[in-house]
Amino acid sequence: MVKSSQRQELQRPPLDPVIEAYKRDVDVSLLLENLRMTVEERLIALASLGELIDEMQRGVRLARAGR
Amino acid sequence: MTNFRRLIEILTDGGVEFIVVGGVAAAAHGAVRATLDLDVVYRRTRDNLQRLVSSLTELRPYPRGAPPGLPFVWDERTVQNGLNFTLKTELGSLDLLGEITAGGSYDDLLDHSDEIQVFGRRCRCIRLDELIRVKRAAGRPKDYEAIAELERMLELIESKRDDG
Repeated sequence: MVKSSQRQELQRPPLDPVIEAYKRDVDVSLLLENLRMTVEERLIALASLGELIDEMQRGVRLARAGR
Repeated sequence: MTNFRRLIEILTDGGVEFIVVGGVAAAAHGAVRATLDLDVVYRRTRDNLQRLVSSLTELRPYPRGAPPGLPFVWDERTVQNGLNFTLKTELGSLDLLGEITAGGSYDDLLDHSDEIQVFGRRCRCIRLDELIRVKRAAGRPKDYEAIAELERMLELIESKRDDG
């Protein structure tokens, strides 16, 4: 059970400088593209990415085996 | 690769009460990062454990990364005696979480989740602000970049809201 006081306490652990540094490099244009999609479209894109990675990995394995 | 669509369909069709968290929730909110597994927080009531076990049995869940041949039995007793399970299934990697750091259980998270419609089903997904909060609280270095992206996302959404 997480009490609301614990929730507030855990709200801001001391990670901010690191996270702020990472934030500078976030590609906002990609985020904006995604925000235009519906939730379902985003999950379909994620699934398609998974299929692409599977195919690419299969291709790389075959190429390595053929070397 | 994990078949997120089928896993969500099987869980929702089986009447399992769960909340999508982790990378798939981040993707649902618009994050552009890839994830390899589906993380869900499931409700630990007796009825729900029955539904969970029954729904996933055909997928032959097995502890991910464990050597083959372990005496692992996927049944209600196993789920009742454990809490968090990192599983491989015939549809890919599935993490079943009874609790998450700083987020707690399904019941704790319920008010911090929304019902979303995906693949013709309705399921619950952790809200973006809560996802950021639990990732921050977990404090895992591997999450820092993801948190930065999610926070930028939240800033974009909030600035759009402010603009009307």
